[in-house]
Order: sequence, then structure tokens, then C-alpha cells
Amino acid sequence: MQSAVELRTWPTAKAVPNARVFVAIVVLCTLAAAAFASWLPLQVSIVTLFLFAGPHNWFELRYFLMRLPVRFGRSRNFFLTAFAGLGVLTVVYISLPLVYNATAWSEDAWSTVIASWNTALLVWIGALVWLRHKQKTQANWAWLIPLGLALCSLNWLGPDLFSLAIVYVHPLVALWFLDRHLRRTRPAWSRAYRRCLCLLPLVLAGMIWQLSQTSSLADNNGLFWRITQHSGAEVLPQVSSHMLVSVHLFLEMLHYAVWIVALPLIGSTAMTKFWDVKTVPVARHPKGFPRLIAGVFVVALIVVGVLWFGFSIDYATTRDVYFTVAIAHVLAEAPFLLRMI
Amino acid sequence: MKALLFACCVVLFSAVLVNADLRPPIKPANQNAAQTAPEPKYILHTGLEITTDPKAYEARLQIPQSQLQNFRAALDGAPGNPPIAGGIALSAPRTIVAGLLMFLAVSVAGVLLARSSSFGRTQKALGAIVLVAVMLGAAAIITRGNAGPPGSYRWRNLPQALAKGEPTVGGVDVEVVPDDQLSGRMRLIIPLKKQNNSGDE
Repeated sequence: MQSAVELRTWPTAKAVPNARVFVAIVVLCTLAAAAFASWLPLQVSIVTLFLFAGPHNWFELRYFLMRLPVRFGRSRNFFLTAFAGLGVLTVVYISLPLVYNATAWSEDAWSTVIASWNTALLVWIGALVWLRHKQKTQANWAWLIPLGLALCSLNWLGPDLFSLAIVYVHPLVALWFLDRHLRRTRPAWSRAYRRCLCLLPLVLAGMIWQLSQTSSLADNNGLFWRITQHSGAEVLPQVSSHMLVSVHLFLEMLHYAVWIVALPLIGSTAMTKFWDVKTVPVARHPKGFPRLIAGVFVVALIVVGVLWFGFSIDYATTRDVYFTVAIAHVLAEAPFLLRMI
Repeated sequence: MKALLFACCVVLFSAVLVNADLRPPIKPANQNAAQTAPEPKYILHTGLEITTDPKAYEARLQIPQSQLQNFRAALDGAPGNPPIAGGIALSAPRTIVAGLLMFLAVSVAGVLLARSSSFGRTQKALGAIVLVAVMLGAAAIITRGNAGPPGSYRWRNLPQALAKGEPTVGGVDVEVVPDDQLSGRMRLIIPLKKQNNSGDE
């Protein structure tokens, strides 16, 4: 009897200090990211993007491949819609700067184009939600219809603001992935993690309070101008660009930390051995595609190297190209997150 | 009937509230005065920082390149890159599409609320009223009002900041006025109220 009690209590007793260490690391990382982002926003932004932009995309690709089933089965329509929408939306988004340079449309016409793309994005996500809902009939997702319509409406009122909202909301999606991942792999940490998330609005409020009265950053060269523009300095001219860049950088740093550090280290053994192709179910399965997956990993690794090389040669241009092409990974998060809900 | 009256009151009061912060139409004192002093032409709304530099020999006006392009576009009659409220209010087709979508959102939300079994009849009625009032209020604020504190709020500590040599940041409306009104000079008008000795505004 005594041994039975010990066997039952031992794992819990071991999990408590680990959860505390996890909470301490999360809080420390959050505060450190906020401090660095507030202190030297432009410089830290340049270094952070150079170091982590490519690798985080590689880890994200690997995570999505881990979640990909060998056979789509009942999810065939879901994945077909996901990949078709991902391809079409990405190609249209990448072609927009080229069309902008080739045409002389008015700003109002461009706002309509941007609003149309944003609407297509919302319709695509709505279709994915509907297809996912057909597989999870017990969940009540009907309230997402008016929410989606309201978002479409707000998008048509201010397309630039809606696009800027995507820039700021996208890093937070990584925190949602981590939440779902913890619930599956480390349920004991899930509650502690959600308590840590309560710290996020407090830190953001503190940053906004401290930085809202600061003078705008000097965007007197092309690179600094690009960084402030990406954070919304042109869309929100009455807001200090120091605050905008710092808040965006802070969220980006959390985003990179989740994809590069938290998800690979906290997850299962398969996630920890991220270099091993055989840990990916699509490659390990007898009917899988090991060579294809290995090839995808190698090509993605080369792209990361090319990105670093590009940043070294011409940082500003590479940054522009990266943030245009990176819309693909922003879009890819939607279907895989829905699969985890 | 009571619910209907309550709904009317909520909607009417919300309309008054959201319109309360709008600038009243400027009426000239008399027709002749209006003819001799034409109204300034509003160009765009942007941000302004007022700061001091003890090492400077001359006052300087620094304009970001993107803002200069916006000025040029606005002077040429193009819409330029209008921020927030300007971008929302200028395009009628986009506003119509947004209104239709908002109408659909409210309608679907209302139908879902009415069909849900987890709420009682009174809760549903109250929920519907609040939903409609919030949507109408939000739409009115976004399309017509200037949400948030008035622009003068951010300039309230300008004298103290100038005395301390600290910068102050706030919004500014750029206007073009006829030459004879300013004798060739630029003028910066700060919305500051005269303070009495006790420090009250």
C-alpha cells in the first residue's frame, strides 16, 4: 500500500519544481525581451531578424510537417482548401509590390486592393473553420460567422489598419500553438503557462505607458525607415514610432523564442531530435515520403543560409524580400492551428 | 413595449454621445468677412514633436520624407496616404461595403442569439439591444467621430516640457492658408488653455 502511494505521488512531486523552473524562464524571457525591445529597438530589431528569421521558419516548417498526416483521409477537403488558399494568397500577395511598381493606381484603389486581399484571407480562414467544424460537430463555432463578418467590415473601413493588425497579431499565434502543444505533451505546465500569459498584457501596457511619450525614432536612413514603416509609423503618424517598433519587436522576440526554443525543447523526443528526419511521421511511416521530407529540410536549410548571406550583403533589400515572402508562413499557421483545436 | 422604448433610448443616447466630440460647423460672422478671409484648406492630420536644442542657432522645421510626399500628393489633389480617420471616411464605396458587412454581422449575431437555448428571453432582449447599440456606436465613432481624448490633451504639458527642455509629441492638422493671412510666415497653433495662478485650466 505504501509503495502504491509512493508510485502515485512521485511524478507529481517531480513535475512541480519543473513547472516552477518553466514559469521562471518564461517570466525572465518576457521581461528581458521587453527591456531589450524598449532600450534599443532599431539595433535589436536588426540583430534579431538577422539571427532568428530564417531558423524560426525552418523550425516552423518542421513543426507543420510533424503535424501532416500520411494520408489525408477524411481531412482531404480541409488540406486541399488549405494548400490551395495558401498558394493563391501567397502568390497574389507577392505580386502586389510588382503590380504597384508597374501601375499608377490611386491610393484609394490600392486600399481597395488591400481590402480585397484581406477579405480573401478571411474567407479562406472561414472556409477552413467550416471544414474543421464538420469534423468536430460537438463544438459550437457558429459565433465565428458574425465575428468574421465584423472583421471583414472593419477591414473595409481601414485596410491599412487591418493589415497592420495582422503584423501585430501574427506573433501572438505562436503563443496559442505553445498552449495547445503544452496541453498535449505537458498538461501539468499548461495552467502555469496560462498564468504566465496574464503577464503579457501587463508588460505591453507598461511598455506603451513608458514609450508613448518618447520622441519618434530617427528614420533618416533607408533601413531605419523600413523598420519604422513595417511597425506602422506611416499608418499611425500620431503615435511614437519608438513605441511601435518596440512593441512589435517584443512580440517578434516572443514569437521566435516559441518556435526556436520552446516548442523543440519542451515537446516530445521527436521534437527534441529536430535534425532526425525519421522523427517526422510522414517520413517514418512505411507508406511515407522520407526522401521528399529530407529534401525539403535540406532545401529549407539552404534557404536559411541564403537569407543570412542576403542579410550580410544587402540587409534592407533582403528584409523587404523576406517580409513579403514570409506571408506564406503566416498563412500556413491558420490550418495547422485549426487542426490542433 | 418597454424593451422597445429602452432600445430607442439606448440608441438615441449613444448617437448623442458619439457625436458630442465632433467639431461644430464653422459659420462666418458675416458674409463679407467670409469673402475676405477664406477658410484654411485642410490637408492632412499627422504627428508633431516640439523639442528644444540649446546648441541650435536657428529654429528648424524637420519634415520626414514620406510626410513631404503626402503633403505634395494632398496639394496636387490626390488623396495621398491619409491616416486613420481620413482613410476611413474618404472612400464611399468602401464605407458602403463595410456597412453591408457590419449589417450582416449584426443580423447573424442576432439570429444566433435568438436561437440559442442557453439564454432566457430577457437576457436575449438585453443582449440584442446592447449589441445593436455597441455596433451603431462603434460605427458612428469610426466613421464620424474622433475616438479617444481630444488632441489638446497631449499638448497640455507643453509649457512645462519646454521649460525643462523635454520633447512633447501630439497630433497636428496641416492647413494651407492664403498668404495675406500670415504675411509669408508659418504659424503653429497649439491648443492650450490659459492657466490661472492656482494651476487650474
